[in-house]
Amino acid sequence: MESKKNLISVRDLNINYGKLSVVFDVSLEINSGEVVFLVGRNGAGKTTLFRTIAGFIKPLTGDIELNGQPIMGMGAYSIARKGVKYIHQDKKVFSDLTVKENLELSSYATRDYDWDPVLEIFPKLKILMDRKSGKLSGGEKQMLLMAMALIGRPQLVMMDEPTEGLAPHIIKDLATVFKKLSLNTTLFIVEQNLPMIADIADRVYCMKEGRIVSTITDEEKIKNMDFEKYL
Amino acid sequence: MTFRHKIPVGPLFILLFLLLFRIAFPNKMTFLIEISIFSIYVMGNNILMGYLGYTSFGQPFYLSCGAYSAAIYLAYLGGNIFMAIIMAIAVSLVLSLILGPALMRLKGSYFTLINAALCAIGVFIFERLLIDLTHGNDGLWYRSNMRETPFIDIRFPSNFFIFVMLLLLAVHYLYLKMDRSALGSVFLAVKSNPRKMKSIGYDVFRIRCLGYSLSVMMSALAGALFAVNFGFVNPDMGANTRAIEVLLATLIGGIGSVYGPFLGALGFIGMKDFVSIWFSRWELFVGIITLLVLFKFNRGIWGGLVDLKSFMSGKINRTKNLSEQEK
Amino acid sequence: MGIWITAVVYGLSMSGILFLVSLALSIGYGLMRIVNMESMLYYSFGAYITYTIVSLTGNFFLGALCAILVGGGLGFLVETLLLRKVYHREMMFTMVVTYGVFMIGIGIIQYIWGLEPKPVASPVSAIVNILGVKIPLYRILIIFIAIAAYFLIQLLMNRTITGKAIRAGIENRENVEALGINIKNIFTLTFVVASAFAGLGGALYAPIVMVGPYMGFDMLLFAFITVILGGLGSIKGTMVAALILGQVINVGGTIWGPLSFVGPFVVMFFIILIKPTGLYGVKSSVSGADD
Repeated sequence: MESKKNLISVRDLNINYGKLSVVFDVSLEINSGEVVFLVGRNGAGKTTLFRTIAGFIKPLTGDIELNGQPIMGMGAYSIARKGVKYIHQDKKVFSDLTVKENLELSSYATRDYDWDPVLEIFPKLKILMDRKSGKLSGGEKQMLLMAMALIGRPQLVMMDEPTEGLAPHIIKDLATVFKKLSLNTTLFIVEQNLPMIADIADRVYCMKEGRIVSTITDEEKIKNMDFEKYL
Repeated sequence: MTFRHKIPVGPLFILLFLLLFRIAFPNKMTFLIEISIFSIYVMGNNILMGYLGYTSFGQPFYLSCGAYSAAIYLAYLGGNIFMAIIMAIAVSLVLSLILGPALMRLKGSYFTLINAALCAIGVFIFERLLIDLTHGNDGLWYRSNMRETPFIDIRFPSNFFIFVMLLLLAVHYLYLKMDRSALGSVFLAVKSNPRKMKSIGYDVFRIRCLGYSLSVMMSALAGALFAVNFGFVNPDMGANTRAIEVLLATLIGGIGSVYGPFLGALGFIGMKDFVSIWFSRWELFVGIITLLVLFKFNRGIWGGLVDLKSFMSGKINRTKNLSEQEK
Repeated sequence: MGIWITAVVYGLSMSGILFLVSLALSIGYGLMRIVNMESMLYYSFGAYITYTIVSLTGNFFLGALCAILVGGGLGFLVETLLLRKVYHREMMFTMVVTYGVFMIGIGIIQYIWGLEPKPVASPVSAIVNILGVKIPLYRILIIFIAIAAYFLIQLLMNRTITGKAIRAGIENRENVEALGINIKNIFTLTFVVASAFAGLGGALYAPIVMVGPYMGFDMLLFAFITVILGGLGSIKGTMVAALILGQVINVGGTIWGPLSFVGPFVVMFFIILIKPTGLYGVKSSVSGADD
């Protein structure tokens, strides 16, 4: 545990849409190698927080640092190039492109053309290479999205509700995949699936009405699903 | 407060301004008539642009429909000028009832472009299809057919000026009523959040159709007045290239306000009058002004006046107000 | 029989022009989500540059080359200086802004070349005989250039990584950025290529019509109809729509003169009623809210 260094730190983030404030004074820390979950009801501001860290929304005030360097206000693409990947909730792959072309785009962005480590985690993609990605199933799309995010060896992968709408047996597979991923990268996940969180979380942030109301790091408390009341 | 609502101070103020201008510069009467008619046209566009949030590149089409309705009536059917104007409004009402339901279903950007297409079709209809009636590009002339009107003979420019003034007062009064009434707020609410309005039970589509019809009828009224004023019409009035004029005037005045259109018409026609003396490239000038207004003065004259007023009264710190807008 | 063959061939050459000039509008809407009203400036400038070069040197192909360069160059200027600033604004705003730019462009054309329409001599005066009908070779040439342009674009879109990024961006701009691709550079590149093609379209059309300051306006409406008919952002759709409209304009015009002008509008109104997404569009529809 001592060897873990601070990867992302968010301080006093305030975000608004026009006159409507949606996130208030949010601060959080993520250390490298951790699996961190963000839980909360719909409309608590989770997605907004994610999109802000990824650079799609400019916050009103606050600081976001990656390895001690400020990244706030950079374009979304440069944050992605720095190794912070964001997977959108809607599971949208580029449906007009084949699986291979989707991966090619990710390689083009990161200049990393070595797909072997990624395909080792998602062997199924190998046989789907030439299929139009619009024709994939929900679980396959999620795999492709994760594979695309993992190309370029990102430091942090942020996933917004990756299990939403997936069949239970696929969710089980994903949990194993997440464990495997966490060996090489840091994960920050918005999730509603409590057993999965209890199984693999190192840290859980609970959000309510735009604020972080609780941070759970204690292993016992995570196992006991102490965060359930915030859902 | 009730007193303020009953007497329309603004429209009277505009009337007073025009009368003073008329006395101070007697030879500028045609200029004033043009401003007055043009501001009715701009008010029509303001309903679409300011209240409903739809931008139309086809306003000249509605203008020329009104003008041609009045002109065809005066040239072939009778000499009563009032009837010609009523005819123009009736034709435009029918037109808007046919087109409205089709157009108001469209996305904003499609609405804009389909209107531009209407403009082109309009020119085609008036220039070629109805050439026997409209004499195409030669224009339709009918001044000699216009008969004397009761009370004041508006065939004479100075009487026509008075007529237009009274009409402008009436239109402004109704416009103010609309703005203050529930309708104005419903329009604005539909513009900013159509989904919410739908969910609380408003028929958003019909409200939009109503706004569209009002806009078309006001444009047609302006067109008919122009037709009476000039004594002839030609297809140029509905040309695509002129669509920007009314948009620009609306922007200059400040969109979505009651008095913005008049100020915009004043600013725009004034500028046009002034510029045409030494600058012959009208399109270039209009384009540059459009960009300037959009990027630098996007609240228009009326917005500027409102800022000035709040600055003077010290109610709102102006710098704070400005910094809020930038976000 | 003869006039029908002429009409079809002339229609095909018209389709070629429509395809070339509509690309900027189609890609602008499909990729950047803007309606760039000024896109016909590149076409007008292309035609005028061709006129100037032909009057100076007599070499049409040099003129066409300059038209491509000027079209692309203007596209670069407009995109980097102006459009970049308005991508995030609402659709209406960008439409009025680009309309203003269109006006400025027309003003500049009037300033440089005056109001008088200019004729450009056809570079190829040969006549070919197709099924007993005499057709100017130049018309055939336009058709082949347009076909070549279509395949070149398809190649760029399907084989190059930038083309793939463009296709991805048409589907979902944000997810392209989330991968780490600077989509703004892709926008600029695409826009320059599309406006260069519009410049070429202007050059090719110059010998057929008189080159005038308002030529962009008539073409804008036709280009817009092409784009709606084909489906936004679809290159194939733009091509098919151009083919249909070319025939509507020329064959329709042969049946009844006014159809050459009104026909495309009739087609457009039908499309909006029956298939609002256009022939190949999947994403956008004409009704509902703007993004």
